[in-house]
Amino acid sequence: MTGQPDRDRRVLAVRCPAWRPPSLVGAGPGARAFELVVSAVQEFCPRIEVLRPGICAFAVRGPARYFGGEAELGRKIAEAVTRLGLDCGVGIADGMFAALLASRDGLLTGPSDPVRIVPPGGTAAFLAPRAVTVLGEPDLADLLVRLGIRTLGEFAAVPAAEAGNRFGAHGLLAHRLARGLDPRPLSAGPPPADLSVQIEFDPPAEQSERVVFAAKSLAGQLHAQLAASGLACVRVEVEVICDNGEEITRLWRHDGLLSELAVAERVRWQLDGWRAGQPGGESGESGESSESGGDGCQAGGISLLRLVPDQLVQAQGRQLGLWGDAVVSDRVARAAVRIQAMLGHDAVRQPVLSGGRSPSDQAVLVPFGDTEAPGDSAASYQAGRPVDRPWPGRIPAPAPATVYPLPRPARVTDGSGSLVEVTGRGQLSGEPARLSVAAGAPVAVTAWTGPWPVTERWWDTEQACRKARFQLVTADGAAWLAVVQDGRWLIEASYD
Amino acid sequence: MGAAVAQVTSLPPSGRDGLAGLLAERTVRSGREIGAGSGVLSGADLLPVLPALRDLLPDGALQRGSVVAAGSWSLLCLALAAGPVAAGAWCVAAGIPEFGVLAAADAGLDPARLLLIPDLGPNWPQAVASLLDGCDLVVLRPPNRPPAQARRKLEAAVRRHGAVLLVAGDWDGAQLRLRIAAQEWTGIGSGHGRLRGRRAQVVADGRGGWSRPQARWLWLPGPDGAVTAVAEEAGESSAAPGSGAEQAKIG
Repeated sequence: MTGQPDRDRRVLAVRCPAWRPPSLVGAGPGARAFELVVSAVQEFCPRIEVLRPGICAFAVRGPARYFGGEAELGRKIAEAVTRLGLDCGVGIADGMFAALLASRDGLLTGPSDPVRIVPPGGTAAFLAPRAVTVLGEPDLADLLVRLGIRTLGEFAAVPAAEAGNRFGAHGLLAHRLARGLDPRPLSAGPPPADLSVQIEFDPPAEQSERVVFAAKSLAGQLHAQLAASGLACVRVEVEVICDNGEEITRLWRHDGLLSELAVAERVRWQLDGWRAGQPGGESGESGESSESGGDGCQAGGISLLRLVPDQLVQAQGRQLGLWGDAVVSDRVARAAVRIQAMLGHDAVRQPVLSGGRSPSDQAVLVPFGDTEAPGDSAASYQAGRPVDRPWPGRIPAPAPATVYPLPRPARVTDGSGSLVEVTGRGQLSGEPARLSVAAGAPVAVTAWTGPWPVTERWWDTEQACRKARFQLVTADGAAWLAVVQDGRWLIEASYD
Repeated sequence: MGAAVAQVTSLPPSGRDGLAGLLAERTVRSGREIGAGSGVLSGADLLPVLPALRDLLPDGALQRGSVVAAGSWSLLCLALAAGPVAAGAWCVAAGIPEFGVLAAADAGLDPARLLLIPDLGPNWPQAVASLLDGCDLVVLRPPNRPPAQARRKLEAAVRRHGAVLLVAGDWDGAQLRLRIAAQEWTGIGSGHGRLRGRRAQVVADGRGGWSRPQARWLWLPGPDGAVTAVAEEAGESSAAPGSGAEQAKIG
């Protein structure tokens, strides 16, 4: 059916709900169980794919031949895991989806008979009586049930083209699953837990220097491991654990480009930033740690340093654009990352132009390092607001040089001193004569234009808004972009 | 080896003839050394600026290692930063949360070579010193008036790294000061028209090069957001394409 021989599609899935993800460091039993199960299964097949905590799978063809058949292999794996004191289910079938369902059946039956084998070619029959909810698409399942399609068999009977037309790409994928086909080929690889490296300090390191020095050799070890498996990591997680149990974790962009020294430097920045304990600038976990860092850990020391490669990708080298690319030079990147270490990841932004009507909509600020390449970022961050659309009602050029992140309250009065109001039909109660910004002294308005009414997102009750914009020039020579919304005047930008 | 040295030493004399023209093409290096750090720098000791601003600056460009004060935050800062960025420098705008990115792009400052740090935190002189290490051009609005010691430290960092510190505010030791002395918006009337451009008189003075202040009229911005020189003695209305009619009404 897929063009792939059926025997190559045989997958063995092991399900073991007692697993914990390896990131839960210190949670002794869970973390150990993870390593134990992975290594137990690896005894049978070195290349396994950890789908998510608690489930791993591998292509069964080779190991089954070696261990004397699928049934025998499944029984041995189940025994090995059960010997660790953990419940598990083992399922073998054509394709990942069926194997996962089979392993769940095995788990539900209990330890007496944890292995379920779906014979080759029997996947469709195995799946047919299952409820559509097993597809893991609640919305789709709900819709199918209301259409009278209750089982996978009934869903599979729908012609693929019709399923695609009616339910879209998601539906088509689910339809493939229901027919016993693979949505994607199995990608086997060594488990990611293998690739992290760590070093323990005993006695705990009081000074950053020792940790940074160790980090350099640790980074060398990490890079060697990654290179040996032909991988590169997009980010590297630096995890520092103090002897009082406190953790400082921060992800650093790596992209396979950092040298050992550069990684060590990042460890230093992380420690410096944490020790400086800048309030307010920290983010996430490190923010919590910095609050207590002042008294607790600073007196103690660092007991463990771990480097965890994050988002592994095939190492393909790097090809820079021939020209026209704004390549972030090393110097700039170093300075930016340094500031991020001091003030937090969000402190350094790169602007990306986007579409929109008001000046504040026309640029998106992306934290430095979150962008792969200028082109990529533009595409992903402008998804909702492309630049190249007309945006009727946008403020005409020239653009204001000062765009307030939060509009400033203002008061515009007419000649008699009463607030200028705009009616629903865009009529003014009087000509603007004086402007006072943020409760400042009123200044005479020498020229003005407006109102330019804008009705944005009227179809969305939450975000709908009606405003009227004005341009005002005051006697001191300043020009302002003002907006009236709900009877209030706000200054959005100024043309300094 | 010997031949290569001879070639290099033979370059400056030929370049000195048309200095101003060659500066624009960034082929000339001034002979002055800035400091120990200048060895790592690429390119000349001067950062080119937009053509409209050349007459205002002593060498027709921004001198590396100098501090330039440009009054309060305004399009003038953006215009000063646009030239170096177009020539390949990286610019960071620090302490300016209301940075108008679209105005910057219109003025010729490529947002792809721009970093924004809206809030520098309490220890901002240290952060700025780190930035000077990485970027050729730092546009800074100091959150508060720096103590003299911090100020001198930053000036030393500017010289050491051969960067340019462009202060959106006042700076006591600035080599060059620019300000908008007079301005006039065109295109907008009482209830009609719209803002089309601003004629601004920019005045430059400072210890650095001018014996007396220099003043130039600029479109800051022009109708398309670009910064250009106002054509002198040519009838001001003709210098503003498309806005002559409205301009007359405002006077």
